[in-house]
Amino acid sequence: MKNKKIVRIIIYLLPIILVFISLFIGRYQISINSVLNILKAGITGNIDSVSDIEYSLIWDVRMPRTILAILVGGSLGISGAALQGLFRNPLVDSGILGVSSGAGFGAALAIIMFSGIFPIYLFSFAFSLVAVILSIRIGRINNSNSAILLVLGGVIISSIFSSLISFLKFIADPYNELPSIIFWLMGSLANASYREILISAIPMLLGISGLLAVRWKVNVLSMGEREAQTLGINIKVYRWIVIIFSTLATAGAVAVCGIISWIGLVIPHIGRMIVGNDNRYLMPVSIALGGFMLLIIDDFGRILTGGELPLNILTALIGGPFYIYLLKKTKEGAWR
Amino acid sequence: MILLENVGFSYGKNEIFNNINLNIKKEEILCVIGPNGSGKSTLLDCILGLKNANNGDIYIDGKSIKKYKINELAKHIAYIPQKQTSSFPFKIIDMVVMGRAAYVNSFSGPNEEDLKIARNALNYVGLSGFENRFFTEISGGEAQLVMIARAITQDTKLILMDEPTSHLDFHNELMVLEVISKLVKSKKISVIMATHFPNHAYFFQNEGINTKVGILYEKRINYLGKPDEILIEENIKKAFKIKSKVLNHYEDNKKYNYIVPLLTEKRKL
Repeated sequence: MKNKKIVRIIIYLLPIILVFISLFIGRYQISINSVLNILKAGITGNIDSVSDIEYSLIWDVRMPRTILAILVGGSLGISGAALQGLFRNPLVDSGILGVSSGAGFGAALAIIMFSGIFPIYLFSFAFSLVAVILSIRIGRINNSNSAILLVLGGVIISSIFSSLISFLKFIADPYNELPSIIFWLMGSLANASYREILISAIPMLLGISGLLAVRWKVNVLSMGEREAQTLGINIKVYRWIVIIFSTLATAGAVAVCGIISWIGLVIPHIGRMIVGNDNRYLMPVSIALGGFMLLIIDDFGRILTGGELPLNILTALIGGPFYIYLLKKTKEGAWR
Repeated sequence: MILLENVGFSYGKNEIFNNINLNIKKEEILCVIGPNGSGKSTLLDCILGLKNANNGDIYIDGKSIKKYKINELAKHIAYIPQKQTSSFPFKIIDMVVMGRAAYVNSFSGPNEEDLKIARNALNYVGLSGFENRFFTEISGGEAQLVMIARAITQDTKLILMDEPTSHLDFHNELMVLEVISKLVKSKKISVIMATHFPNHAYFFQNEGINTKVGILYEKRINYLGKPDEILIEENIKKAFKIKSKVLNHYEDNKKYNYIVPLLTEKRKL
């Protein structure tokens, strides 16, 4: 028991340590001493002794980027864990109800219709909600209340929005709009600033806290609808709670960073291998691991290219081998 | 304890059963037997509040189950499924403590007290030391005992079971039946059990428990009473269209009854 507690504490510390390390990473070299001085200056407010460029690079570029990475990765990780529990299916990811493809369509539409970044956030957030609402409408056909129909609704809506994205790509101006759409669909933290954090942190933090509040109930929901209800859980209420909060968290994340695959699917699995299936621990751990993983991926992207490498290229390339390593290494909580 | 008055259920125009009248008292077991598709599980679903009876009403402690909230009903009736098919390998203790779901606040989890209740329940069914094992790596019989422990943790006066031994071998079947018997005797609870095995009813009667058996077929509970009055060759013939034989033997001056199926009606001996 004690060992497990230590393991969890280490996992919670990982993203915090990595945030610190990430401040040193980037094309512009800043010495360790300068970084420490700049951090101190930022906290004390005494900024006379440090270089303006370096100060702004640490506090206005790297810091918001790392914070956003943690928030986005954490949101995707916990949403994935919650939805896998709700739908009793380990192959479900945070985009199962159409959040990601709805967001992709909204962003593509905004890129074609408007210039500037803000409409993209707005449209992608709005359309991810639209996609989920449509999935739920399909899931309610015939007044049925089954989770399977809901998943089916998500799959249908996702593919409709994917087709619409293809259509928008087809009609987009191939010199400006098309590359923007493709780049957005591959996910990126390049636009991160405090403004992005302010916009997206509200839905993400709201979603995360809502999911954390009901995390033990997700255990009970994963027993199946019949059993959950006979155990005394109002499955309709809790199902909506899980769907609403995971949608908020995911929609907030994809709105500012584009579609990021893999984190919402695999992070909960990695979490299960380390802390087991109890969502009381799995869900917080999925936040920490999701944030950690996305930040590592972003760091790698920056180290490898010195520029901007879309996140989706590296998510599976780095996460995949790590997942295989864990699969071989761990026994507890793994699939049998 | 629980009273069913003229309960009927239909899927659209397809009537499953009607005019079901039952009254189960404290420390009593009701075994519902009947052919496949006769509606045993549907009847359990109506009592559990998972399906709404179209006709009649079901009362628990004198109050209609429609007036109970979901978590209130769960404090009165626990349910043991045929087989738990969780997609995730939970620890046994985590499974059992879910029995406290009706008592835990909306936005929290079980506390130390709940865990203690769950551990006691595991000890009660003879699974002490199983706490940290995984539900996916224990035997079918042990899994069913875990489900019983979860029902005990739920702290109800009535437990519903849907064919709790349907995929178990002889040893495990008896192990589960013995725990149920102990439960009724020592915790003074009532059990409603859908089963394919008439001998389960005989088993409980042989154990000295107040046992009733109801044979559900052709949309009614056509026979209801004590096992040795109801589980006789003519009734089994009408319900299941088979020939059967009631046997008994004496051990320590105590009479033990059984029934064995022999042949379907169409065949001749």
